[in-house]
Amino acid sequence: MARALARALVAAALTLVAALTLAACGSGGDTTAAQIDNGSTGKHGGTLRILTGEDPSSLDPGVTYSSLDLNVLAGTERTLYAYKPDDPAKIVPDLAAGPPQVSADGKTLTVKIRSGVHYSPPVNREVKAQDVKYAIERGFNPHVANPYASTYYGDVVGAANATGGPIAGIQTPDDHTLVFKLSRPTASLLAQATILPLSVPVPPEYAKPFDAHAPSDYANHVVATGPYMLAADKSGKVLGTGYKPGRLIRVVRNPSWNASTDDRPAYLDAIQWTIGGTPTVSGRQVLNGKGMVLGDPPTAAIVKLAYQHHRDQILFVEGGGSRYIALNTQVPPFDDANLRKAMAASLDRERMRIVRGGAVVGDIATHFLYPGVLGFDEAGGLAGPGEDFLAAPAGDKAVAAKYMKAAGYPSGRYTGTETVQVIGLAGEPDDNDAQIVDQALQDLGFKTSLKLVDASVMYGRFCALPKSKVQVCPNLGWVRDFADPQTVLDAAFNGAAISPENNPNWPQLDDPKINAAMSKAEVAVGTEKRAQAWADIDRMITATAAAIPWLWDKQPNLFSADVRCVPELWNQGHCDLAYSSLK
Amino acid sequence: MSAGAEALLRVEELRVGFATGDGVVQALDGVSFALERGRTLGIVGESGSGKSVAALTVMGLTRGRRTHVEGQVLLDGEELLGATAERLRALRGEAVAMVFQDPLSALHPFYRIGAQLSEAVRAHRDVDRAAARRRALELLELVRLPEASQRIDAYPHELSGGMRQRAMIAMALANEPRLLIADEPTTALDVTVQAQILALLRTLRDELGMAMILISHDLGVVAEAADEIAVMYAGRIVEQAPTQRLFAAPQHPYTWGLLTSTPRLDAPRGAALVPIPGRPPSLIHPPSGCRFHPRCPYAREEHRRVDPPLAPVPGTPAQQVACLLPADVRGALWRRLAAGATPDEARSAAGLAPEPAA
Amino acid sequence: MLGYVVRRLLWGLLLLLLVSALTFVIFYVLPSADPAQLRAGRSGSLATLAAIRHNLGLDRPLTVQYWTFLKRLVLHGDLGYSYYSDASVRSLLFDRIGPTVSLALGAVVVWLLVSIPIGMISAVRPRSWLDRLTMGGALLALSLPVYWVGLVALYLFSDDIGKWPLLPGAGSYVPLAQSPWEWFTSLIMPWLVLASTYAAIYARLLRGNLIETLSEDYVRTARAKGLSERRVILRHGLPPAAGPLMTLAGLDLGLLLGGAVLTETIFGIPGIGRLNYEAIVHADYPVIQGTVLLAAMFVIVANIAVDIGYAYLDPRVRTA
Repeated sequence: MARALARALVAAALTLVAALTLAACGSGGDTTAAQIDNGSTGKHGGTLRILTGEDPSSLDPGVTYSSLDLNVLAGTERTLYAYKPDDPAKIVPDLAAGPPQVSADGKTLTVKIRSGVHYSPPVNREVKAQDVKYAIERGFNPHVANPYASTYYGDVVGAANATGGPIAGIQTPDDHTLVFKLSRPTASLLAQATILPLSVPVPPEYAKPFDAHAPSDYANHVVATGPYMLAADKSGKVLGTGYKPGRLIRVVRNPSWNASTDDRPAYLDAIQWTIGGTPTVSGRQVLNGKGMVLGDPPTAAIVKLAYQHHRDQILFVEGGGSRYIALNTQVPPFDDANLRKAMAASLDRERMRIVRGGAVVGDIATHFLYPGVLGFDEAGGLAGPGEDFLAAPAGDKAVAAKYMKAAGYPSGRYTGTETVQVIGLAGEPDDNDAQIVDQALQDLGFKTSLKLVDASVMYGRFCALPKSKVQVCPNLGWVRDFADPQTVLDAAFNGAAISPENNPNWPQLDDPKINAAMSKAEVAVGTEKRAQAWADIDRMITATAAAIPWLWDKQPNLFSADVRCVPELWNQGHCDLAYSSLK
Repeated sequence: MSAGAEALLRVEELRVGFATGDGVVQALDGVSFALERGRTLGIVGESGSGKSVAALTVMGLTRGRRTHVEGQVLLDGEELLGATAERLRALRGEAVAMVFQDPLSALHPFYRIGAQLSEAVRAHRDVDRAAARRRALELLELVRLPEASQRIDAYPHELSGGMRQRAMIAMALANEPRLLIADEPTTALDVTVQAQILALLRTLRDELGMAMILISHDLGVVAEAADEIAVMYAGRIVEQAPTQRLFAAPQHPYTWGLLTSTPRLDAPRGAALVPIPGRPPSLIHPPSGCRFHPRCPYAREEHRRVDPPLAPVPGTPAQQVACLLPADVRGALWRRLAAGATPDEARSAAGLAPEPAA
Repeated sequence: MLGYVVRRLLWGLLLLLLVSALTFVIFYVLPSADPAQLRAGRSGSLATLAAIRHNLGLDRPLTVQYWTFLKRLVLHGDLGYSYYSDASVRSLLFDRIGPTVSLALGAVVVWLLVSIPIGMISAVRPRSWLDRLTMGGALLALSLPVYWVGLVALYLFSDDIGKWPLLPGAGSYVPLAQSPWEWFTSLIMPWLVLASTYAAIYARLLRGNLIETLSEDYVRTARAKGLSERRVILRHGLPPAAGPLMTLAGLDLGLLLGGAVLTETIFGIPGIGRLNYEAIVHADYPVIQGTVLLAAMFVIVANIAVDIGYAYLDPRVRTA
């Protein structure tokens, strides 16, 4: 009981602090601190400095999967289709010459490639459709091992057995035409998936020798197709010039870039990432300095500092992702849906948001598709599908009691014997959220055992490992791969996705009706049809209470006073290199 | 006391106290003696008697924030107690030099002995390294160090005890001091080496005409070399006499104790060694009256109250003693003790009723 | 002497072998994370995971992996490839050792220059107000965590975010070859911060040692010889007192060369400490192995150097 009391005190203190500091916020409404720039105007010239604490995980477009790396590549490479910084739902042609042509049966996707796009030195030649073909094929090469190739390109004929060699289903009738032949009608999905960097063209004659290495060495010699390129020496080697591990990434103008083939303004002359340092110091350096952007999420203290003293240097960008609490549906006690709903009703999600900083950090989530994802409005928008157990952000004791009764506990408190294992993240503010969840469980009468660990342990040893039989994982969340709602719901809630290790379906939801609906929705053709189909699935998932959605993140982004940051709404609000400028 | 106006060293009523957490340790409580050129004074006493403190105070090495020194120390008429630190430094190693007890700890372990000797020379003479080294070699030969030309580059721990002491003596003699103080120079050495070192000291004194103060707890050691002996107890001199006289007719019960507790070749076979009972007294709270009375087998009730001054023995003004017993009683007691009697036997034979000691 | 050095070096090699085996075992028995999972991200299918594992050679038996590593190291001086960045471990180490050496050596110099005079003055005037002041300050300095001191220093004195802008702030490090002046000024604050704890420890240590040596017999002899007080303290008192300091400094330097993680992180110095920390976070085993071996090598070399140095200082040790 003392533990609970201590936690209650901590939570109360935090509530007080957070409420005092962000009291000016008010209740919902427009909570962005600065107006969002779309980069249609800007001053040419200058170097932008980005401060980040960590190295990029990979600069090879065939491997890249983290948001920082995507930010770099958005300036240096061109994918078939892309998002404009201010519209995270609509794809626009980038390397492609026009909109994607999806056949009526949804099994063929045809894309025409622009002419006049050239590689950076030392390759220099024009980009051909065969280069995109090779780029996708190499994703299946174990020396490259692209993490999402089989997920999104797996329906391409011949991809199932591909190991880096030619894939029959990718055809190039001429140098500027790409045709994908699919075994299932998922061409609409594939069209959207091309915004991911696997579709960045890679010159085979230049890259094959690097790909023969295990692992591939192409990242150290990568060539660019966008307005910028990683600085390289004459032979094209990036390692040591454009990328110094642990120190910097340096991106300069690409001499081969032809502005007439590209809508991007590319105001800046160069961008440099400085790697290393601590977030509290970096945050201050950005706020007080010139020409800098913070490349990592700022700490709560820095957010407060910025919000109070540098209001126009911080942006809260919607669409950061959704956070939810996963309840294991395969083991007691939460194999009982009524108990899950009771838990959802009794949780104070408002308080969980307050300990992260209050209304500025996001909207209270009511379902799983989030703002910016197709199907969000069809699934109920901000208000949500209207489930009673999610109706009150601060929790509703009466509704919780109702579901406890329905589960067979008329007193409103759980009287069973299991101890509920709760695995949360160590470190602020996630540990506070985990404790609030833990407290809510105890209030319902559950005996709990809370462990706070770091992220790789949380996933690797507990929440993503079914055999660990952990009942509650409060600090989970999902970020989309691209705008199609399948990328938010499929892997996270499809029974077929459950895997003995590295399992993405954390609640292990295996509802046959939902699984069937997903199979159908996967092959729906056309964005409107897909949006509606997945929105319906979203409602179904929300109704099961397999996971409790609680926050739709608004990612805070920090920049110096002389920086016009154009945030990528599709990528955590990172300042887009090709649209941002200096004042 | 030799009343010589040309005394090289004259110490008058020297008092030295050390302030400690438990009180003031009065290490010397009114010590006076004089030493003429070329003469040797032996100072004998047990640990805590103040003999080393006296020597160190002469050199000015007991100065400190917690030290209180009173009295007079005159070297060739120059008052040392009030001298400046710089003046004392100039005199040390030059006019007055000291040899210490344990040459292994007294010589610096990091430097070769030749270097340490040269350093002693160059501290007071403006000579270059080569000249100082030559002088160092000269000194080592003076003290009869075997293979001096090689040993000069040896480290102290590479030499035997006797050789180290010779080296230390050589270092003390570097600048031909007028006065050499040797504080227990043989205590750390083997018996055979002891004799050699003492012989060396005597030879050097004769060759160089230095005055010497020889400090020891061992009467036998000073017997050979000293012209005059002062016996110290609890910070005071309790008896002082020319050497022959001291051994022939010691006056103080403490001196008797020292003499009878040493094994002698000419003592009767089976005669027991008679140690001096008790322990050295506290110097913070010394005994009342005669300081020796708690351990004196012949103490009387009066001795607990009256503190005897150091006064000449009637008939032999060169000998002084601080004792309340009448001279004839003392004589009688000593005759018995010298013949092998125990203190009790001697006391009853002298007609002294046993009185409870304090 | 030569035989002694050779024997110590051979022992050192054996130790390094042991350290590498231990690191290997620890990593596989208690891994910080699964490198394949980290690289695959959350969408990694089992097939992708398997491919990555094969890529990195993680699917071979442990003994084979270790043997391959040893062979490559001994025959080619090849420490393998980082799992996380596509660079060879050797190049990463070479790249990052320079800043660490700059930081460590500079800090050692600073703390010795500061601690020795302070320790000496305190020892020569024990219990004076100066002594109490410096020793009290030293106690404070060694109680404050270096992380905190570094942050406070930045908030007070760095030229970009500090209250009184004086010195270049975090992330301003440039290699010596690029610009000696900027290299120097960027390291002043890190040197001072890193040296603060050590200077405090060494000053207190020297004070204690020197008070002891000044009461030794050979110092009394030196005074009895009529040497100037300055010479007595510097030539007779200080060398024996400084002996333990030298030993400690050598070992501390050896440890620091393995990387001063906290200082490097705060000031954004791209050194070995930071490299090691990041490697652990990313479960980048080859880099971990490389940094650990490097650190072990420095400690072993430092140990040997210190022993030799001590023998040079104190001749009594030579004959042992």
